[in-house]
Amino acid sequence: MSAVVDFPVKPEARPYLDAFGSGERGRRAGEPDWLAGYRGRSLARFAELGFPSRRSEAWRYLDLRALEETPMLPAGAVRPAAGAATHARLAAVGFAGAAYRLVLVDGRFAPELSAIEGLSSGVWLGSTAAAIAERPDLVRSAIEAPSFETARPFAALNAAFFADGFVLDVAPGVVLDRPVEIIHLASGGTGGSLHTRSLVAVGAGGRASILETFAGHGSYWRNDVVELRLAAGAEFARVGLVEETADALHIGEMLAVLGPASRLASFVLLLGGRTVRHEATVRSEGEATHCALHGAFMLSGRQEANIVTTVDHAAPGGETREVFKGVAAGRAHGAFQGRITVRPGAQKVDAHQLSRNLVLSPRAAIDTKPELEIYADDVKCSHGAAVGDLDEAALFYLNTRGIAREEARRMLIEAFVREAVELVDSPLLREHLLSRLARRLAKLEE
Amino acid sequence: MLEIKNLHARLADGREILRGIDLAVNSGEVHAIMGPNGSGKSTLAAVLAGRDGYDVSEGTVTYLGRDLLTMPADERAREGLFLAFQYPVEIPGVNNMYFLRAAINAQRRHRGEPELDAGQFLRAVRAQLKLLDIGEDLLQRAVNVGFSGGEKKRNEIFQMAMLAPRLAILDETDSGLDIDALKVVARGVNQQRAPDRAIVMITHYQRLLSYVEPDRVHVLHGGRIVESGDKDLAVELERRGYGLLGDAA
Repeated sequence: MSAVVDFPVKPEARPYLDAFGSGERGRRAGEPDWLAGYRGRSLARFAELGFPSRRSEAWRYLDLRALEETPMLPAGAVRPAAGAATHARLAAVGFAGAAYRLVLVDGRFAPELSAIEGLSSGVWLGSTAAAIAERPDLVRSAIEAPSFETARPFAALNAAFFADGFVLDVAPGVVLDRPVEIIHLASGGTGGSLHTRSLVAVGAGGRASILETFAGHGSYWRNDVVELRLAAGAEFARVGLVEETADALHIGEMLAVLGPASRLASFVLLLGGRTVRHEATVRSEGEATHCALHGAFMLSGRQEANIVTTVDHAAPGGETREVFKGVAAGRAHGAFQGRITVRPGAQKVDAHQLSRNLVLSPRAAIDTKPELEIYADDVKCSHGAAVGDLDEAALFYLNTRGIAREEARRMLIEAFVREAVELVDSPLLREHLLSRLARRLAKLEE
Repeated sequence: MLEIKNLHARLADGREILRGIDLAVNSGEVHAIMGPNGSGKSTLAAVLAGRDGYDVSEGTVTYLGRDLLTMPADERAREGLFLAFQYPVEIPGVNNMYFLRAAINAQRRHRGEPELDAGQFLRAVRAQLKLLDIGEDLLQRAVNVGFSGGEKKRNEIFQMAMLAPRLAILDETDSGLDIDALKVVARGVNQQRAPDRAIVMITHYQRLLSYVEPDRVHVLHGGRIVESGDKDLAVELERRGYGLLGDAA
């Protein structure tokens, strides 16, 4: 029986409402009232919005009809024990240079696979569920802060259903030299949707970095939201590596609020998944922030991927740098949509965006759509976008040195994406990304 | 080693550039092909190296007893044919060392030889660098990116020296070089002269031939070889110019 509610409900939202109402997938036992209230409000918001249609500008390049037609309800509360396949996957995607590792299996913290003991003083790292119990004020203040935009159906659904996630809190002045590794694994045993909600807070003058890897088995829909809060002078780097399975739908959202003179460096590499969307929304609230949003996607077969960025300069003196590279082979479709807004009074903002794309087959396509919205007069903003094929002259040059056509193509594709990867500061992370890239590249044009 | 018979080639737009080239190059020889702009010199180099976009309508090219024209460009290279480009291509993001090692190992695999490890490769590189007056920093940069004109040409000769081809075709390698760079390039070419190797230098000017003495000199004009002789022909051409060729052709 359908739940009776007093708000408008889009038809495709109904099954999610029912699942929430049934209790077992909604409010978790022992959750505080503020969270339960937040989940309820978020669900109502989702019910009203439904899934975005292609008529909505931010979603025009993604085909979500399958999701509308067949509900993918949140995975149940029972997490299967990590099997041999999970261990093997973990070994395959793991990063050797991490300070700590936190593993989430099917959207829930897996302590037996994680290594988060012996945290340095001033560092709090744990599951979102643990943070709700141990650090309620931190989680609550982030969650109840007004959302950047109202129409965020996936974030709303995530808020209603998230089971777990991770929280990293770095106290003012504390510096974490090595990256924290977060691995999101899907065991393949649950199906349905995995909703994770995470939070990173870096105090004034603090510094930290994370590598988030998304991988798994089987068919699932991952709906991930991570929120970043950088206090004055804080520095934070996030690398997101999406290596989901060929049957996976991945909707990832990164929301960041930048305090004065803080520095954010984000890099996303989308390699696996049937349909992948990564959206980064950054609000530069303090003066003189530095925001580097870089990334790449590499697609083949019938893969679809979208990278969407929005940087909102609300204060003067901010700097934004964006370099995104796209590669599509087979019948893949990629898209980049990048918006940079400079609000009135946000003078001396310096923003540059570059989107360069390689289309490797006649049936592949890449769309790129830069948008600059500038309401201040003393700013430096520019963008460049290009879509093309591999350089024939360069291919011929490599051929005349004896390098076979396929190898020459791989060398040029690798070089193309490498230019973006080299913008990652950490040499260890760069190396890790390049090795994952090489692995993907070997199978790109099969 | 190389035998070209009645070679005709046209561009995609139908213009015939090569109109019946006959040329035989033996192992151990250095040939110079001279001619004015538009005579078909670079087209000949491109057709021999296997560049797309040319239609060979007539004639044959035999290289080491095989039909060269049916082989793709990369196979020609692995069979020992090398083209030094008039305009070496810039390849952003591909490290010069990495590129060269990939090329050498592709050729070694083809010959059934073991690949060079990093140490062996580096030793071979260092020996050649010295000879061509190339700084090691050049190797750490992306292929030809940000190289000066002279650096690009030296990099071509450096690659030739590393790849040790059977047949090297140098397409206007001397153009745009100052006299010091020209001497370095000439030294590299001279050092590559060997009994089992042939070198074909395509050039507009006689200048390079003062430093690399050819066994044979050919004059290309209107898509045909209109005159052949020994090294003295180059000197004579320099004196009388290409202007009179109209009558000979």
